[in-house]
Amino acid sequence: MRKIIIILLAASLLWIWQGSVIMAKTNISFWTTETQSERMKTIQLILDTFEALNDDIQVKLVPVDENDLPTQMAAASAAGNIPEVVEMGSELAVAFGSEGIMDFGAHEAVINDIGRGEFFKGALQLTTSPAGQAYALPYHGWVQGIWYRADWFKEAGLAPPNTWYNILKAARHFNNPAKNQYGILIGTKPEGFAEQVFTQFAISNGAQEFDANGNLVFNSDAMRETLEYYKELQKYTPPGPQTWRARDYYLQGKMAMFFYSTYIMDDLSLAEVAKGSLTGENFEGLGGVGFDANLVKNTKMVSSFKNTQDSSYGVIVTLGITKASDSSKTDAAKRLVRYLYEEDAYVTFLHMAPGGMNPVLRSMAQSDKFMNDPKGIFKHYGKDKIAEIIGGLDHLQKFEIVEGKMFPASGEIFAQKIIPQMIYKTIFEGVSSQAAMNEAEAEMIKIINK
Amino acid sequence: MVSHPGSLAQQEARFGWKTVAPSLLLIALLIVYPVAYNLYLSFFEVKLSGQNEFVGFNNYIDLLADRAFYDSLTVTVIYVVGSTLGTTLLGLGVASLMNHKFPLRGLVRGLVLLPYIAPLISEVFAWQFIFDPVNGIYNHMTVEVLGISDERVNLIGTPGNALLVVIIFDIWKNFPFAYLMILSRLQSINNDLYEAATLDGANRWQRFWNITLPELRFVVGAIVMLRFIWNINKFDEVFLLAPNVKTLPIYTYFTAFTGTIEQGLAAAIAVVQFLLLIGLIFLYIRRVLKW
Repeated sequence: MRKIIIILLAASLLWIWQGSVIMAKTNISFWTTETQSERMKTIQLILDTFEALNDDIQVKLVPVDENDLPTQMAAASAAGNIPEVVEMGSELAVAFGSEGIMDFGAHEAVINDIGRGEFFKGALQLTTSPAGQAYALPYHGWVQGIWYRADWFKEAGLAPPNTWYNILKAARHFNNPAKNQYGILIGTKPEGFAEQVFTQFAISNGAQEFDANGNLVFNSDAMRETLEYYKELQKYTPPGPQTWRARDYYLQGKMAMFFYSTYIMDDLSLAEVAKGSLTGENFEGLGGVGFDANLVKNTKMVSSFKNTQDSSYGVIVTLGITKASDSSKTDAAKRLVRYLYEEDAYVTFLHMAPGGMNPVLRSMAQSDKFMNDPKGIFKHYGKDKIAEIIGGLDHLQKFEIVEGKMFPASGEIFAQKIIPQMIYKTIFEGVSSQAAMNEAEAEMIKIINK
Repeated sequence: MVSHPGSLAQQEARFGWKTVAPSLLLIALLIVYPVAYNLYLSFFEVKLSGQNEFVGFNNYIDLLADRAFYDSLTVTVIYVVGSTLGTTLLGLGVASLMNHKFPLRGLVRGLVLLPYIAPLISEVFAWQFIFDPVNGIYNHMTVEVLGISDERVNLIGTPGNALLVVIIFDIWKNFPFAYLMILSRLQSINNDLYEAATLDGANRWQRFWNITLPELRFVVGAIVMLRFIWNINKFDEVFLLAPNVKTLPIYTYFTAFTGTIEQGLAAAIAVVQFLLLIGLIFLYIRRVLKW
């Protein structure tokens, strides 16, 4: 009997020991907003390589839609299982940082390890708190612009859409619903895209959320003017609430202008690639329907436009490390983030969307490895255009930054979609501009006083 | 044999409790606890950090003063009444048709069930594609082919139409449920009744009104009640197809998770919805079904 007990005891001890060996692998999860399956595959490949190099760490990749991220984080933090590493826009990093979820110390450590001077200043500024702490690490970025049919503009004798006047004039000119053709796409669905487009208009009219002293100055004449202008412009968009997905109408030749990030460079040149394979002898009947091989040549982009001042907008996507109860998890998260900046991993990541994902490290922007993307998209646009776009990341204008100072409440306002709701209400629910702005202002005050 | 008269009954009762205990436990865990916790939360200002602040009836007072809540209530009533009536009537009509003999009846009966059994998400995408303002077939047909309208519309996106679209979608998706239940009842109605009525000179309409309908009373009653409960609580269909139709569950979701996140207030909305539902069902059972 005693023997049996001893054997059982030994066996169970062995079992526990084995378990602890398996347990010794630190499990962390990585939330990414790159939800498309191809991008997921590439990221998984990067993570697999990381795991092969670090066999004490296991990383679980979780895709989360950009628009759902605040909701999912709220739910995860209520349930006590927030991810260790999150890829997200800088606004959200700021919002989560202000809520006390992010680990500033961990971010600082990785930034210092890479070298602070390596990062573009503008990118770093967007992720740095007023007290100088890092909400997250800038990872890649894109610039927003108006993409337009340069051939149509030329034929109609119109100037490029670089001022409020030119934009509205062109939108009116090309809008022809009877022919199922529209002037412009701006965001009107209550989603992040609407705020991204609206912000660029507001700043080009000198309208801000905060002044340099941190007072909320959202409810201003300049802002109301912007909203009125936005409403007017909406008349020349495809019917009903619209978001970035409507860019397809442009690719189909049914729209003259649309707001989009440099992510579209990929789709535009891929349309050409697709045309090559979908027409001709392979699929005679299709005749290239939906694909215009010349679209990439006929498309131009204006990244900065003005009413009373120049305005350029873009987004820095960041990597954030959350506060973990367990220091081994924080350590694993730091190693993962550091690894993602290694040349091979970084370039592989950025090449998922050439044009859309641009490096924030100086050395990487000049690297030949980066310029040589597998789809040859950079060649289409030329080195200068790419350099111009990447350079744009250094001086983005956003509501969070006023005269070089950072206002974190703005990130929270973005996360809660207050401006998109205001736009939707005033366009589709018949609320007057002033009433919608008052309502938005009241919500903003609630956030500031929280 | 001396035995206590109650003992057998007591034993049975004990056995009875034992048999239902697992289900009771599950219900307590999965239904009673969340309902109670929701009720509890509705008296707090919920903070994401976990430090909730007791506010008494403030959430309810805020709610009753909120115009958006009444708007949402109105939308819910229109949605529930419209979709319940629609599914039941369409189900009744189709069931009456399918009760007649015709070639390939089996096949048709099966096909009618398709909208009910197909995955919701694929149906929603199909509808969104059909009603796409620029590329959808609906606008293509009405504007270009038939010329009924000279303007392309975003039927799902525009708040004014969206409610109607969501109601029609629900009717289309869920009428097979009503149809299935009514048809099975129809088939069990004794044919003698109809023959006797025919002999008495009753016409088709009189037979339907005086025999079919009274026989269907309870099954239709049950359908209406079930659809009523389901549709007041319906989230997925509405949210996926047109989140701008703010029925109470959608409104609760937006209050809880977007804008200035107010989960205490959202809990209060859920409580009001729950009470409303219980009250209406009680009334319905008493007054309409007379159970």
